[in-house]
Amino acid sequence: MRIDNTSQSVAASSLLPMRPRHLAAQRLWRFLRGRHWTFRTGVVILVALVITLILAPWIAPHDPAVQNLIARLSPPSAEHWLGTDHLGRDLFSRLLVGGRFTVTIAMVTVLLSFAIGTLIGVVAGRVVGGVFDEVTMRIIDVLISIPDVVVAIFLVAIFGPGYATLIASLTVIGWTPFARLARGLTLAINAQGYIRAAEVLGCSRSFIVLRHVIPNIIRPIAAVSFLRFGHKLITVGALSFLGLGVQPPAADWALMLADAQPYVERLPILMIAPGLAIFVAALSVTWIGHGLEIEARDGDSGDE
Amino acid sequence: MWTRLLQRLLILGLMLLGVSLLAFLVPYVSGGDPVRTILMSRVRDLDVDPAAVEAMRIHLGLDRPLAVQYGAWLWQALQGDLGYSFASGRPVASEIGHALGVSITLALTALGIAAAVAIPLGTLAATRPGGTVDSATTLMVQTFVATPEYWLAPMGILVFALHLGWLPSAGWTSWTALVLPATVLSLRPMAYFTQVTRAAMMDVLQAPYITAARSRGLSMRQTVMRHGLRNGSLPVVTFFALWLAGLLGGSVVIEVIFAIPGMGRLLYEAVINRDVPMLQGGFVSIVALSILINTIADMLYVALNPAVRSGHAH
Repeated sequence: MRIDNTSQSVAASSLLPMRPRHLAAQRLWRFLRGRHWTFRTGVVILVALVITLILAPWIAPHDPAVQNLIARLSPPSAEHWLGTDHLGRDLFSRLLVGGRFTVTIAMVTVLLSFAIGTLIGVVAGRVVGGVFDEVTMRIIDVLISIPDVVVAIFLVAIFGPGYATLIASLTVIGWTPFARLARGLTLAINAQGYIRAAEVLGCSRSFIVLRHVIPNIIRPIAAVSFLRFGHKLITVGALSFLGLGVQPPAADWALMLADAQPYVERLPILMIAPGLAIFVAALSVTWIGHGLEIEARDGDSGDE
Repeated sequence: MWTRLLQRLLILGLMLLGVSLLAFLVPYVSGGDPVRTILMSRVRDLDVDPAAVEAMRIHLGLDRPLAVQYGAWLWQALQGDLGYSFASGRPVASEIGHALGVSITLALTALGIAAAVAIPLGTLAATRPGGTVDSATTLMVQTFVATPEYWLAPMGILVFALHLGWLPSAGWTSWTALVLPATVLSLRPMAYFTQVTRAAMMDVLQAPYITAARSRGLSMRQTVMRHGLRNGSLPVVTFFALWLAGLLGGSVVIEVIFAIPGMGRLLYEAVINRDVPMLQGGFVSIVALSILINTIADMLYVALNPAVRSGHAH
């Protein structure tokens, strides 16, 4: 089933006969079956979302940037499925491409935070009580309380909006929860038999970290990554909404929300649709994260 | 514990020094001559007389070495002098004082609403894990976490202010103006508080003294009221403070949408107006306050929790 490095499963899998190879779809089905409906729905939505965002420029019925001032603020019709915005641009087409910037920024931020935080947390947990551990943990105590939106606004004010500024400013604070979690998980397995055995056998410190520690603590951290991903989607959107993220005339969900404000009474769909898009995207990754979290927790208690 | 506190204070001091240095450097790294930046924002004229620039440079002491300038700037800042706003011409410190009062009121109201819903709900969910209430609560938590407040707020204005006319759509004049922004702002902390309360209560309800109380014949309700809530609400204290720190500057979007003159909007307008002293002052004070509130909360948690106090749960 699952690949981990406990001696039991290694022995068990070598005793079993060769398993038939499964198709990717079958594997996905096995992976999804028996899990909570929110987790399954989350996976389906996320996969659909990513495919849509990648293919958006080709499947959009209209050019999302083309203005048509005669047909501005028109209600949903056969020509424009969700109507048009205040510049006559097709709302449905803009909705399809509108998540690219936000999702990319959020994804890169989370991946970077995940990598940096996990590395620092694991090292701190392995040298617990040492100078590195004490100093990094005290720094995290302080950093973790600073609102990331404030840091982002400050840095955007200086360096101007852009991918690098946004990713950097959200990662500066973003790595701290990962480091705390990774350290705690490392502490919990430091005394485990397989770690002790590796130490006694003379394995190098980096080998133990890479081969034994990280594979065993990765699942709860992965769960948290998805939860943080949802959080970052909303934060990046907030910055774009304020005019500090993606810049007009690009099509972006949060920008569309900001643009729709004066026209919301006349055509509520201008605001309902992009807001719903952000909500559904954030909810899907939250559901996935929650499902992974429960699985990691129950899996841990089952092994002991 | 004392060494830990001392270390913490040391890092806190170093961090504040670093943040202040960052803020001080804003006019130097954002491009352009700082003196021109100041003059331009005053007269809104790109062709400033070079002689005037030079006179201003000497008048403001901008011809001295950077380190000396930083020292002077920091000394003034510590005495509460953060300069004058480019946009309004008023002292930055007094503007921040006003904005802070507004933001604290908004944040405390939102967190009050959040805690009032979350603690009973989390407790109820913990008493029957996996039950209907628990499942519904989990779904509610996930929904609230995933809802962008910059979507909910305009929709709330549309329904409650424009269609029903029950509440004002923006402003900071009466308590009714507080209802909509505080409610929207409360949903995310409410979700987290509920999760924390639920997890803490699940732990507490497995403790031997709960079994003991139940076996003495106390009803579940009495047990939770007398023993559970007191012990289970401890982690919420830390979370409350963390959120208070986060909301002081983190409620920018809500403050901008509802035109509330708080810290978030102050920072936002400083960016929009290219108001350098306001940006510096706002950033330093928000970060300093967040760090201080969080440190106090951590100490409070240690003081309230005997297990951590004795170094048992380090």
